[in-house]
Amino acid sequence: MNATIRSSGDTVMREASGAAAAPVIRVQNVSRWFGSVVAVSDVTFDITPGITGLLGPNGAGKTTLLRMMTGLADVSTGRVTVFGEPVRDNPPLYRRIGVMSEHETVYGFMKGREFVTMMGRLRGVPELEEAVDRAIALVDLEDAQYRPMQTYSRGMRQRMRLAATLVHEPDVLILDEPLNGADPRQRLHFKHLLETLKEQGKTIVISSHILEEVEQLADTVLLIVNGKLAASGGFRAIRAALDQRPYHVRIVSDAPRRLAAAVVKLASVDAVHVDPDGALVVLSRNVGDLQLELPRLAQAEKIGLRRVEPLDDSLESVFGYLVDA
Amino acid sequence: MRSVYLLTLRQLSGKWRLGIMAVLAAMPVIISVIMLHEATADPVTDFEEVVLGAMLAGSIAPLVVLAIAAAAFGNEVEDRTLANLTISPVPRWRIALPKLLATITIAGPFIALSAFFSAHVGFIVDWQATIAVTVSAIVGVAMYASLFVWLGLVSTQAIGVGLLYIVLWEGFFAGFVSGARMLSIRYYAIALMHAMDPRRFAELDHVSGTTAVIVAAVVIVGFLALSVRRLRMMDVP
Repeated sequence: MNATIRSSGDTVMREASGAAAAPVIRVQNVSRWFGSVVAVSDVTFDITPGITGLLGPNGAGKTTLLRMMTGLADVSTGRVTVFGEPVRDNPPLYRRIGVMSEHETVYGFMKGREFVTMMGRLRGVPELEEAVDRAIALVDLEDAQYRPMQTYSRGMRQRMRLAATLVHEPDVLILDEPLNGADPRQRLHFKHLLETLKEQGKTIVISSHILEEVEQLADTVLLIVNGKLAASGGFRAIRAALDQRPYHVRIVSDAPRRLAAAVVKLASVDAVHVDPDGALVVLSRNVGDLQLELPRLAQAEKIGLRRVEPLDDSLESVFGYLVDA
Repeated sequence: MRSVYLLTLRQLSGKWRLGIMAVLAAMPVIISVIMLHEATADPVTDFEEVVLGAMLAGSIAPLVVLAIAAAAFGNEVEDRTLANLTISPVPRWRIALPKLLATITIAGPFIALSAFFSAHVGFIVDWQATIAVTVSAIVGVAMYASLFVWLGLVSTQAIGVGLLYIVLWEGFFAGFVSGARMLSIRYYAIALMHAMDPRRFAELDHVSGTTAVIVAAVVIVGFLALSVRRLRMMDVP
């Protein structure tokens, strides 16, 4: 799987290695605006069976895109199809789709099992009781199934919502920030569950603003920034692109000018400047090497390091770099 | 349909909401008892105009129905649970209709009992009048319910807009402007009452009973159809 990184606004199609599976979800030239605000701009991609991660900072347009992929929201222009059919206003198609929105609100007065049963009944699940048993077992909530959901923790609510999403065994799963409120054990359980579903040939789309979360779960990543598809492809290629970006590192020491003269000679350093407050700002494309070399250098030069911190390690800056590249 | 109906019944049967409705529904009965003991020149006309027309059909019934109906979809839109229903493979009318039926199921008995006991007291055990008042009140509830269920779906301020409608349109314009009366739910409920018991509201200029029934059906089905359309077209939060 190769990553394709283009400037913002470009149409980017996934480049799959090996035999390309037929797309299950097709998003074609989709835009959505709210008044003068453009939430999603001319986005095109296909999604095939497996786990696809929709990654982007908060406010990037991920949720709007997912809502259009589930038919909950209309497109302003473009077309979204699932299994070749328009997804909007197409109730029979929803039998094959499971959606878990980012909103964690549940019917608090309902017991967990009642909720899953109701969702199964609405989807016309045959042998409902067995299906409900299976779905609740999948999320490991058998012990809490007869408790009102208002007594659940945030993580338990999410898991019971996931059970309700899975009860009709959909072919397509669309999960918006599904790991909100999950503890490390639940994350691991969720990862195994997704892998099992993937082996069954399901098409799974998960969204997240957390890079590591998507890295652990998804085979393929769609990177959304400012409503546009910034990159798509295998996670490794995108990760490599991220690792090659220049980082700004701020260093506070007791001899900044002497440290600047020494540090500029390091191969991992591209540029150095000294701030008016005496702190050094180093530009590096190889932060891994810099992390190793800097303490050795300081020790050799007998310079005391008081503080070393990345200036732009936020996800937004990473995405900003990718979009501008 | 049963799932949505039962879900809505549970959502709408909060103790506070039911308590307030019970108090509102009791008011016409209390006023009827008071009027029974307060001799006036024309007690029947006063009772019809004050208790049945202004109070029951024009205020209490729409207020009680508004409190229930606006929440039928409004609460789900507000707490973002509506997607649970709309991503289900069921036709949209099978979501809207049970919501309307649940609203009528909860609001109907309050208004029906209020109308029954008010008429029973006010008309001093006149069964024809009591049945006419009760049946027309139930039809009125169904009309208001269809209107306000739709309102809860199209406006996040359904209670405020509904109150303005009740006070300004049903309470003011429809009472004083004859043309406006033709677009008033209260007017058709009273016309139906008159059709079943011609002695009631005898001095008003009524449409025929058949027309009242047809208009009631058009209002109920029309706003239900608008709710279905809205469910199909809206962006579900």
